[in-house]
Amino acid sequence: MKMWLTMEKGARIRFTGHLDLMRTMQRALRRSGLPVRYSQGFNPHMLLNAAAPLSLGMPGLRELIEVPVGEEITAAEFQERLNAALPPDLRCRAVRALPDEHPAPMAMLRAAQYLMELDEDDPNTESCMAALPQMLAAEELQAIRKTKTGEKPCDVRPMIYDAQALGPRTICATLSLCEAGTLKPDLFLTVLAGLAGAEKPEAFITRLQMYAMKDGALTRLEEA
Amino acid sequence: MDPVQERAVEKLLEKVEKPARYTGGEMNTEVRAWDEAEMHFAFCFADTYEIGMSYLGMKILVSLMNSLPYMSCERVFMPWVDFRAGLKEKNIPLFSLESRKALSEFDVIGFSLQYEMSYTNILDMLDLGHVPVRAADRGEKDPLVIAGGPCACNPEPLAPFFDAFVIGDGEEMMVEFLDVLRACKKEGLDRYETLMRLSRVEGVYVPRFYEPKYNEDGTLRAFERVDERAPETVRKRILKDFSNAFYPDTFPVPYTDIVFDRIVLEIMRGCTRGCRFCQAGMIYRPVRERSMERVIELAEKLEAATGYEEMSLSSLSSGDYSCLKELITALMDRFQDKRVSVSLPSMRVDNLVKQSLEELSRVRKSGLTVAAEAGTQRLRDVINKGVTEEDVLRSVTDAFDSGYSTVKLYFMTGLPTETDEDLRGIGDLARKVVNAYYTVPKERRAKGLRVTCSASVFVPKPFTPFQWAAQDDLETVMEKQSHLREYLKMKGVTFNWHDPSLSLLEACISRGDRRMGEVIYTAWKDGCILDGWSEHFKYDVWIKAFEKCGLSPAFYANRERSYDELLPWAFIDMGVTQRYLQLENERAKKGQTTKDCRKGCNGCGLQRYEGLCNV
Repeated sequence: MKMWLTMEKGARIRFTGHLDLMRTMQRALRRSGLPVRYSQGFNPHMLLNAAAPLSLGMPGLRELIEVPVGEEITAAEFQERLNAALPPDLRCRAVRALPDEHPAPMAMLRAAQYLMELDEDDPNTESCMAALPQMLAAEELQAIRKTKTGEKPCDVRPMIYDAQALGPRTICATLSLCEAGTLKPDLFLTVLAGLAGAEKPEAFITRLQMYAMKDGALTRLEEA
Repeated sequence: MDPVQERAVEKLLEKVEKPARYTGGEMNTEVRAWDEAEMHFAFCFADTYEIGMSYLGMKILVSLMNSLPYMSCERVFMPWVDFRAGLKEKNIPLFSLESRKALSEFDVIGFSLQYEMSYTNILDMLDLGHVPVRAADRGEKDPLVIAGGPCACNPEPLAPFFDAFVIGDGEEMMVEFLDVLRACKKEGLDRYETLMRLSRVEGVYVPRFYEPKYNEDGTLRAFERVDERAPETVRKRILKDFSNAFYPDTFPVPYTDIVFDRIVLEIMRGCTRGCRFCQAGMIYRPVRERSMERVIELAEKLEAATGYEEMSLSSLSSGDYSCLKELITALMDRFQDKRVSVSLPSMRVDNLVKQSLEELSRVRKSGLTVAAEAGTQRLRDVINKGVTEEDVLRSVTDAFDSGYSTVKLYFMTGLPTETDEDLRGIGDLARKVVNAYYTVPKERRAKGLRVTCSASVFVPKPFTPFQWAAQDDLETVMEKQSHLREYLKMKGVTFNWHDPSLSLLEACISRGDRRMGEVIYTAWKDGCILDGWSEHFKYDVWIKAFEKCGLSPAFYANRERSYDELLPWAFIDMGVTQRYLQLENERAKKGQTTKDCRKGCNGCGLQRYEGLCNV
């Protein structure tokens, strides 16, 4: 059996890096005494599996982490005991029990939704917000994407599932996040600024939700 | 902090290195809401988060103060240069991790004094926190600024900046200090009378009630009280019931890497060995053990509260803990299934090392560190380091035999009476350690021998038998280091040495008088901060600061002092008497050793106080 944990990483600890966060989770799980499975071998370690690391400085409201467990335990009990052992800015919002055969969250992940709060003092904010409709209307958006193999020019338009203004300086966007191609919110803003003829505005970005693809439509990852 | 400042801080965090140093919120660090506490204490550590969070004393005292119903104690660390520059640029005061309150908003600001070269950071933190740096410039509304910790045993170099020092064990003293302060506040006493009341708490020293007078040659002539109500001698505070004293049953668990990220169980305080260079061995007397039952109880609570996978049994000489083997066995039995490893950071090689190592290696292997301190038996006798070459070789052979291949050897250069022969002795010992590795059959030893020899520069410290000694001047130190480099040129051995100019300043400050405060102030004003970090250490600025103040480093560091000279710290009773230190210094000159006092009292002075020393 394994558990899918929907975790909230609060704004206060947004600068905790991925490895530090995994270690924090491991220690919390140790404190909780929950029956987590360890790897075999000389240096046994917990087999935690995050859907996708969060960028440094970014809070996440519904992050998915998979934990294999060794004994039967209900999702409700797991959540309660884990929350009791977590630091205040890291919360477990839901737990789902799944058979081991269920695919790993990373394999199912396709996209994520971000909230981008553009800086009100930044002179680029206004023009960028104004350029949002133009961005969505474009058929093609050329950009330089940094990947593991280097910098590559590509069309990022297909990686934007949705983007809308939620206020005078707030954008909510759903962007591709998977092996096939990831559009980071930072690059999204760079492209937007390019259309506006401005510099990339400073922004506070939160990852709201992760998605899988089911029957041709985006579905919340934790439910997929 | 107002919303504008909050936003500025968040933006600043985006731009600095290791922002998690400044954000707090770690497991087990929640404190009372600001308005729910009657008094607020800012516990300051004058170095970065990673270093401060590794320090046990801070964990004990922060936790202790937060356990008092009327107190709230929050943490403040020295910001790194990038964050510091941002705070200054935006005029945001240095703030606490928990409630983000400016230093100036606290009732008491307390610094832990661990290292002389962090003193400029203290002035900088006060200034960043919008608190007047000099005690004389602080008014009725300003926080009380106090300091404790090992370096407080010679408080004089910092006297101009502090309202009070707390000297000795903090567990009971801090509670009494805060109780008295609270009563003073209720009575509406002014700052002067409050400090007078506090000066009667045993262990508390209030510098403004005393005034040093100097001879023409610069030595101290007298140390006079300016208010006769203050105690003539300040006696260090000694915790009697160590076993049952306050000890935290939770530790903060940082999100980011810190230097010592583990459970630390202080099993013993003090040391009976009597190494003559060792300040800790003298000032933490008498030796007191925590009972095995209590250590195990704390280990269980701390493991459950933190989830740490490592615990270390800490003390000045853990091998001297009377039931060490039983303790380790009990801890291993309890924690092996939970994959918790137990380590002993300060083992002397003359203990039963092998047995302990075998017990420990049931879980994890790490390197072995041997503090031989000197290269010949003659010099080891001078410093009363009761370790023989045989001890060293036996313990490293045992270690190699149990699968270790990394050994660190610690030495000091510049010890009193040192000659070239002693330096050659360091090389000889290193060679014998290498040879010991090859005596272990190939199939039993681990591959990749690594012997690291570190040689620090001897710094004479107050309240040690060598407190009168001269430190080698820079030229001599550098010459010795270059000889040592030659003697240690061999396969498998790496040689590390310390920056001698840093050691010179340590020597000046650690045995400095009140005038040294002006040197520290000047150096800080001229841009010295983070001196303990080699990339920020500005030796030339320090030397200019001495010149500006009309003082000479050689006067403080490189001059042998006579027994007749009034020492700047002589007004403090640290338990060990000056007469005993003198006797020990004379024995050192003759190469006579002094036995471990558990084998019979050596008369160091602790027994003057009834019921304190039970060795």
